[in-house]
Amino acid sequence: MIRLENMFPQAFLVGVTKMVDKDGTLETIHWLQEIGEELAALEGPGFEGAREDSINYLPICPFGSEITEFNEIYGHPAEFDDIVKKVYEMKKASDKPWEYPALTHALGVLQHSYSTKRAELAGAELYSLGSKSPKGDFKQFNEEALEKVGISKETVGQMLDRAFYVYKIVYPDKE
Amino acid sequence: MNRIEAEKLYENSVRILKNNQHENGGFYASPPGTRYPFIYPRDHSIAILGCVSAGLMDEARKGLEFILSSQKPLGEFSQRYDVDGNDASYKDLQIDGNGLVLFVLGKYFQATGGSFFKEMADTAFIEKYWETIEKAVSFILLNKNEEVDLIHTINSIHEYPAYEHGFEIYANCACCAGIYAAVSMGKVLGKDVSEWEEQADIIKESILTRLYSPRRRSFIKCIRVKDKNSKPIGYDPFASTVLDIDAAEYAPAYFELIKDSDVKMITTAKRIHKHLWDKEIGGLNRYPEYWGRNNGGYGPWCHFTCELANHYIETDDQDQAEMYLDWVVDMAHNYTLPEHISTIERFELWLEDYTNAKILRDSKVKLIDDVRSHPKWKDGLAYVTIPLIWPHAEFVISYKKYSDKFH
Repeated sequence: MIRLENMFPQAFLVGVTKMVDKDGTLETIHWLQEIGEELAALEGPGFEGAREDSINYLPICPFGSEITEFNEIYGHPAEFDDIVKKVYEMKKASDKPWEYPALTHALGVLQHSYSTKRAELAGAELYSLGSKSPKGDFKQFNEEALEKVGISKETVGQMLDRAFYVYKIVYPDKE
Repeated sequence: MNRIEAEKLYENSVRILKNNQHENGGFYASPPGTRYPFIYPRDHSIAILGCVSAGLMDEARKGLEFILSSQKPLGEFSQRYDVDGNDASYKDLQIDGNGLVLFVLGKYFQATGGSFFKEMADTAFIEKYWETIEKAVSFILLNKNEEVDLIHTINSIHEYPAYEHGFEIYANCACCAGIYAAVSMGKVLGKDVSEWEEQADIIKESILTRLYSPRRRSFIKCIRVKDKNSKPIGYDPFASTVLDIDAAEYAPAYFELIKDSDVKMITTAKRIHKHLWDKEIGGLNRYPEYWGRNNGGYGPWCHFTCELANHYIETDDQDQAEMYLDWVVDMAHNYTLPEHISTIERFELWLEDYTNAKILRDSKVKLIDDVRSHPKWKDGLAYVTIPLIWPHAEFVISYKKYSDKFH
């Protein structure tokens, strides 16, 4: 149900699909990344969510209810899948695949750029090890990131049973 | 009062404050390996206040350096930080943190000499962080609603938006007192702080009128409003008032906006005592049981009990002050204080309620184990999160006040 008062999240999601149609998938990804980085600069250094030693995780899914509600109204737009697919292509072609998010939804691009930028401001690197879809029906892992930080897929999979995003915080200076 | 036991608790409380300050300056809310091994500006500020009261000025200064250096770009002090001063929040805005940091900075400055002994005062420290102070005040005023002249927040002292989202009393008193502290410090530095002073006066007046119910003769908890910019706020979807009693309604005196002897405060304190003093095990509960978020079981909190003891000390009611502080001394386990205390029955009731409602978080598993394995469980009591640093700081403050006044 849309009311003017709560239209904004839905408008943003429609905007993402329109942006893909108008300017292409890659441009939309860059646009989402820029938004995330700009908001991160405003918020400053930090790591949102729960923490167990150097593991940072989000027990609730950011934008989860908005995405679910959007999908209930619009179905699942192909443009969202295009974004996810494109990010995986970019990851595959990259020589630093561990820097990419374990993605289950297009808005993960926004969240990843925001979170990694805030970590960078704190002098840290943040590796996206795994994520769970907003409805919790499937999981994704970044195998290269798992290998780089030496954590098993099983361990992260177990964490994802009680979380939506699992990250590893690494301070290069302290390594 | 058992003064020997009280003295031992005081000494150990000071020790606990010292032992739970990380080398970077942050005071843990509870020690590493326990429930809250982070630095929460609210708890941290009270720990600093405890240090100032105990004369631990180096520790207080170090704590202030930590928190002032951790300010976010817009001027906010957020929910919690890691030991390196990085934001580690998982909850929305809690603006009382901004007020508290300024308030305790003012207390530190005052204790070093303030405007009275200028040559002794740590003016260089205030000068060094003046820009931070300015940003902290600006952030508070950014959240002021011009229709009611109150500060809007989502969370406050209980981190419970259901009852705190809007114009909440603790947050408003902390912020108002924080601006007054900034005004005092600014005057010593020769800054023009007249605009802040005017704003603080306006907010204070609004607290004393809009957050006070003459018919109930009590301060109230909150004017619920969803959006700080709702105009008119009467049309805001949350528009309503929270009139229930809450220990946080002592805030106008705690933050020195009015005296404890003010009739508004006396009648509010009476109402707090009447409704929140625990009839079964003593001590002061934080809010009514039916608010329904009673992690570990409903029961009295040590730091709220200490806070209200201050009221009875200030109003020369030694008997009542002793009853409050005695309870804290009696409930200490090995001279250590928990967050709160419940009974086995209430603990199990909470567990049943949360399990049935499917709102028992995974993170509560450790809490449950810790409560059941604590030695006091065999006495029929549930000690929840022990030690929590905050009540030790409050005990240091209130016991010192008590000793200074009555002995």
